[in-house]
Formats: sequence, structure tokens, C-alpha cells
Amino acid sequence: MTHTEKSSLIHQYAAGELSWHTLRERGFENYLEVLAALAEHGLKYPLAPMTGPNVAARERGIAILTERFNAQTSP
Amino acid sequence: MTSTFALIVTDTSPLITLAVANQLDVLLRAGLPIEIPDAVYFEATRIRAAPGANQIGAWINLHSEMVRIVPTETGIDQQRRLEEGRPIRGLGEQAAIEALEIFLAKTPDAQALLLFEDTDIAKRRAIVDDRVSLISTGDFLRALQSARLIQSAEYILDEAARSGRNVAKQRESAAGDDTKEALRRQLLTSRRP
Repeated sequence: MTHTEKSSLIHQYAAGELSWHTLRERGFENYLEVLAALAEHGLKYPLAPMTGPNVAARERGIAILTERFNAQTSP
Repeated sequence: MTSTFALIVTDTSPLITLAVANQLDVLLRAGLPIEIPDAVYFEATRIRAAPGANQIGAWINLHSEMVRIVPTETGIDQQRRLEEGRPIRGLGEQAAIEALEIFLAKTPDAQALLLFEDTDIAKRRAIVDDRVSLISTGDFLRALQSARLIQSAEYILDEAARSGRNVAKQRESAAGDDTKEALRRQLLTSRRP
């Protein structure tokens, strides 16, 4: 993978256009490489928007965590 | 350790992100048993010198009452592939599905929370089962932030990238030193009569 290809892939990843799964298929060996490339290009870790096929299951997951975390902080 | 609820780590990326940001302990904040499929653990730690690898191993040992590695058939296949020099990429996810099935088969009221990397959770269709909920690394950190258990999810993710970059620089520098040394040896050898 050339530097230009890597740069293009990491920009697409940061924009949420490519997944980590795809990056791995295209030659990124491990996730540390992805983190390093994000920092090298001044890009942010791509947080998942609340869209896509898994929204209901994610909302359930967030609700479970929120309940557990709040139980620790409530008086 | 039998529990009706578990957090199952489906991929190396959440572990590596939190390890290099020195924040693996946040995973314990939900108070849920954590299950790491063997293939995920192996993929995250197989290069001992890789940043995060040692932290992940030490962290699991330190919290063995809460964190366990789940043996799977995929994990066995992963070892076989390594011995035969075949690729092992992506087997972690397959092992996670197996670990989930093992966990759900334990008891009818078992429920699992699957931890994914953000871009994977947004793009890929996961298991459809009411007993299974999903969470991304970002969701997890933002829920902690909302409950004021951490100051900033963004800071942790930026810190992970910064650490990753520092490590990459160190590696490049080490590789450069190796290259210089190899060149120096080659020059010395070629000068000899």
C-alpha cells in the first residue's frame, strides 16, 4: 500500500465512509496503524452516527449502560 | 463465573484503543463480566512488543475475576492457520459469534452486550436477537461521560490516536536505525579485501 493510498483510505475512514473491517481487507495490519494514521493526518476517531441497521440494538445497549453508570453516581 | 449478563468484546480495536490511551479500566465501570474470545485476545496480543499488547495481557490477569478469555473452535483454527502460514485476519469476529452462542446457550435469561468498533457497528448488520444489545467504543465512552464517570470521551479517543502516532514514530525511527546499521555492515564487508 502506497502512502497516498493509505492517506486516502484513512480520510475515508475518518469521514465514516469506510469501516475498520474494510481497512483491514485493504491492507491495514492492525488497529494501531489506524490510530497512528488518524493522528498523522490530524483526523478524529470516527464516532458512529445513530443510523444504520443496528440502531435499535445500540439504543438498547446505551440504555443498559446508562442505567448501570447512573446507579453508580446517584446519591 | 456464571452470569446472566456479559459484555463480549467482538474485535481487537476497542481493546487496542483503550490500552494505548491507558484506559482499559473504563470497561469495568459497567460492573459486567467481560468475555474476550480467544481469537480476539490472540490477535490483539500476538506481537508482544506491539504497544498495548502487554497492557491488555496484564489487565486481564489483574482483573481475572471480571475478565475471561473464551476458548472457541475459531481460536483453534486460528492457531492451525498460523502454523500453516495462512492468514488469520478477521477471525476475531467469527470467534465472537461463537462466544456469543456459547454464552446465550448457558441459560434462557442470558443477555449479552456486544462491543464493536464505531465504523463497524454503523455499517454492518449484526445479530438480530432481543437478548443481544450492541455498543460501540464511542457509545461506551459517551455513556460514561454523560454519567460524569469520565471527563471527556473525545479526550480519550484523541489520546489513543496520539499514543498510536508516537509509537509509529518510534517504530519508524527503530526501523531507520536498523537500516543504517545494515548499510554500515554492508559497507564494512565490501571494503574488506
